[in-house]
Amino acid sequence: MSKRSEKYLSGVPMKPYDLLREGLIMLGVIVVIVVILASVKSSPDYPTVRAQDVANLQPVAYLQTSATILAGNSSIQHYGPPYTEDRENAQHLFRLAPANWFGVQIPINPIQDFILKPLARASTLDPNVTGALDAYQSASTDQQQAWLSAYVAALDKATVTNGEVQIPPGDYGPVPTMMDAMLALGKAGLLEGALESNARLPFEYDFTRSLLFFQDDVDANVAEQLDLSSDQWGVIHETGNYPGAWWLAPYALLYQVPPMNNSTNADIQAIFIITLIFLFLIFLPHIPIFNRIPRWLGVYKIIWRDWYSRKKGDSGREA
Amino acid sequence: MNLTEKARGALGRNLPLEDALPTEMPVYVNSVAYLFGVSTLASLGMLIVTGGVLALMGIGWHHISAIGHFVDALHFWSAQVFFASLGGHMIAKFFKAAWRDGRWKTWIVGLLTFAVAVFAGLTGYLTTTSFDSQWISVQSKDAMNAVGVGAFFNTMNLGQVVTLHVGLLPAVVVLLVGLHLFLVRRDGPVLPIGERKAR
Repeated sequence: MSKRSEKYLSGVPMKPYDLLREGLIMLGVIVVIVVILASVKSSPDYPTVRAQDVANLQPVAYLQTSATILAGNSSIQHYGPPYTEDRENAQHLFRLAPANWFGVQIPINPIQDFILKPLARASTLDPNVTGALDAYQSASTDQQQAWLSAYVAALDKATVTNGEVQIPPGDYGPVPTMMDAMLALGKAGLLEGALESNARLPFEYDFTRSLLFFQDDVDANVAEQLDLSSDQWGVIHETGNYPGAWWLAPYALLYQVPPMNNSTNADIQAIFIITLIFLFLIFLPHIPIFNRIPRWLGVYKIIWRDWYSRKKGDSGREA
Repeated sequence: MNLTEKARGALGRNLPLEDALPTEMPVYVNSVAYLFGVSTLASLGMLIVTGGVLALMGIGWHHISAIGHFVDALHFWSAQVFFASLGGHMIAKFFKAAWRDGRWKTWIVGLLTFAVAVFAGLTGYLTTTSFDSQWISVQSKDAMNAVGVGAFFNTMNLGQVVTLHVGLLPAVVVLLVGLHLFLVRRDGPVLPIGERKAR
């Protein structure tokens, strides 16, 4: 025993102990528990939502997403750093916006990156797309928005027959041709590849654009059905009948209470509060009054009940 | 100056073998509350072994192989038991005010370990390449971006996520746990509340 612990434990009766034996027994117990749980409950493995699935199963939603992005109405369009230059949209607290300190590190132009560039790739397979793209890009912004507004409105009245989307006649310009090409990319399972093309193909490890494409609507609807949305305490849920990340419950709770439950700065507010709580716990040993809470709670009397009984017995015998 | 001699002296003073591998313990160390620490260590061991197998076989293995899915389940439930044990350990230490008599450093290292483990858990969910990771990656990006971390850590960059989850974060957890154990064994179990340490 070191001088430090010898001095600290001076006068305290000792008992025989086998550290390694205790560790091995506990390891055995944990192994048994984990093997039983894994055998009985397995683990969550809910399939991903692929563009091909959306194109085949929800073609109207697919087209609505594509048209919304092209119209510049996706949530990434004016997100702010690290994706776009819209610094005024970065979450802020006490006039501080940490996202702005580092600027745009992952530049994304949704209209170009999500729609026009994939269509340019698709145009090598379908010459009609080339003409539609030229017509669209040479039109004025007002004309583009007029076509898109009419097209999005028409999608509300769309019918689907054998996977083909029919919309009422109208003045949509080249937009239907472009959107049909987007849908064809999806049905062929090529959209993710068209989105993520980079200079290092065939190696790919960054799926930012594929993951962002359907996040606003299709993915959100699936998440809602699986109790994964923010107002459903989604932070601590996962797919299937599994416990989820329950250890994040205090953090998830913050999103359910004001001001976080109705704030565009909810994330930075929640992280600020949880950081304060964490720092409070870190410094708890040195915070007067609060560091005495365990004494008042008295749970220690249960934990060390044998010791206190022993002491009581010893003092009784001495008396 | 002989650094080796100094290191050997420091280790001998702070953690002799009698403390590192004790064969006796104060009689007050006699409660289930003391078992959470060792169950945390045991489940961490399970996490490393099962995670090592999953990493070795590739992150998509559990989607295409029944054995892979079972190992994934072992890893998943090891994580659940790990956090349950860690939570129990932290609560037990709070009730014992185990930071007394200079043990605040041990308390701080334990809390830091929990924080890093939470981040490791997040990257674990992102690594599953299931709808969970698909949804969590786009949801958690907002929190990362809000505090500026998103400029360096992209939750949708699988390469970065896997590197963190398989390499860096487990290494940091193991290092912190090692430091925590060093402090625990060096200082010994804190006296029951109300007992005065020897002067």
